[in-house]
Amino acid sequence: MSALERLLKLREQNPGPLRILSASGQLGFGIPKKSFERGIKSKPHVIAADMGSVDPGPTYLATDKIAAPEVLVRSDMRLVLHGAQQLGVPLLIGSAGTAGADVHLDVVLKILKEIAVEDKLHFKLGIIRSVISHDLVEHSLVNQKLKPIGPIDLDENTLKQTEVIVGQAGMGPFERALKLGADVIIAGRACDTAPFAVIPKMLGFPTGVAVHMAKILECTSLCCEPGGRDAMLATFDGDSFTVESMNEAMHATPTSVAAHALYEQSDPYFIHEPDGRACLKHAKYEAIDERRVKISGATWQAADKPWIKIEGARKLGSRAVMLAGNADINFIKQSKNIINKVEEVVRELIPFSEWSLNIRHYGIDGVTEWPEPPVNLPREIFLLCECIAENSEKAKLVLATFRQQLLHFGFPGRSATGGNLAFPITPPELDAGEAFTFSIYHLLELDDWSALEQLFPVTIEKIGDQT
Amino acid sequence: MKRSLADFAKIIRSKNAGPTLLTIDILFNTDEEFVLGLSSLTPNFVCQRYGCEIADLEIIPYQTALAIKIVLRRKIIAGSPGDRDVYGSQQHGPLLGILV
Repeated sequence: MSALERLLKLREQNPGPLRILSASGQLGFGIPKKSFERGIKSKPHVIAADMGSVDPGPTYLATDKIAAPEVLVRSDMRLVLHGAQQLGVPLLIGSAGTAGADVHLDVVLKILKEIAVEDKLHFKLGIIRSVISHDLVEHSLVNQKLKPIGPIDLDENTLKQTEVIVGQAGMGPFERALKLGADVIIAGRACDTAPFAVIPKMLGFPTGVAVHMAKILECTSLCCEPGGRDAMLATFDGDSFTVESMNEAMHATPTSVAAHALYEQSDPYFIHEPDGRACLKHAKYEAIDERRVKISGATWQAADKPWIKIEGARKLGSRAVMLAGNADINFIKQSKNIINKVEEVVRELIPFSEWSLNIRHYGIDGVTEWPEPPVNLPREIFLLCECIAENSEKAKLVLATFRQQLLHFGFPGRSATGGNLAFPITPPELDAGEAFTFSIYHLLELDDWSALEQLFPVTIEKIGDQT
Repeated sequence: MKRSLADFAKIIRSKNAGPTLLTIDILFNTDEEFVLGLSSLTPNFVCQRYGCEIADLEIIPYQTALAIKIVLRRKIIAGSPGDRDVYGSQQHGPLLGILV
């Protein structure tokens, strides 16, 4: 009997509250064990976790890198697998391997299968793939079925240069995998909410409320005071659910949970999914006690056509960085002008033109672009100089030239003729690998719902000698 | 008397909302402070603090959490060359010292 069949049978006999345990919002960065075990003791019907994000930047999507350390991916995966197996409940994990393309998903699947062999586990594994073909995106671009999210331009040329494209799988592919008998589901790129919301939705709980619950749960205890990474439990009962951290020191309050609706969202009132959106305008947050909040009121607005969020990244060249400091107020006063003049000199000296230079002046505006200069200039500044060029040798050549010109540049009012820069390390130029940029962060409109099945194929594998 | 926003707002934070947008949340303790904050953080004022155009920003009051959300279009996509803050977690600085 599959995990879903077991759950359906159980609910036929006892259709009471449904408990969903969120094990991690970033599986692979260490799941606090005590809280997770407390979660298991509360006998959840579903265990779910999110593993990825677009936040760490384009490098992860464009390469085979995974942000989480493999040792922790293995220990976290072992913990959630054993928890789900012990209770015989479904385990759903979204956005495997940070960026969730096939190469990342396969690394996570390999780890999972190794654990299953070592620990003699048996289960049916559902795999959801999320890579989107360039042809589909090109076709959508030509037919104006692509909508940029924020300022990002895509043309046929940048599309061709895009290394890989992923789409965020919604609840649909998870539902298909469950119906095909999967006990454990590992998905490539997925909506953060999908693994948490799908089972309540399938069991008939209101979709809008289920998606709202998922949005809160996908960051585990981050919605509490104090916030943390400990497992979080949602208990669904009728049209509402209650959330509770599995760490007793973490308190979910109506304000802390409502504030979480804002987190990383550009719109606090809607949570967008491929098949519609949850509207939070009439959401209600009520304290049950000082650690638990009851939430209700979200509604669901179904979409006419599916929209999926797609992400792509392309390579720009190689990156090198140069590190240097300065403690001379005469230089600090004019550092922007000096840098611009030196860059002009370097442009004339370098025999190739395809390079770009970005200088961050830490102490002045290294972190953010302030609207005005500081009231008092700092006594020291740090310069992080970044160069992008065709290859690492060229990038380092530009930086070395820039460094030497800057070191001895004679600006007006200069008194320290021994050199303008302090190098903390030598050589001060460092190879920083390849440089990428997001080339796609768009909504893609599909003509019909059946297209989703082809976009996010589901396969089932038997793990262990299951009979 | 004018007070510094940082002295009475409960939370002032920034974070990416995807790689192309930046979102700044200011959460208050009371309705009065929320109203005061909302009247001070006008689109023109926020544009001046972030050196952007009105079309590049949106200010959304969210009374349920006594919060104001500011959404800014990023000048540089997160993680691209020249970006200063890949996660967008330290872009709230220009609001800390303002007097309301």
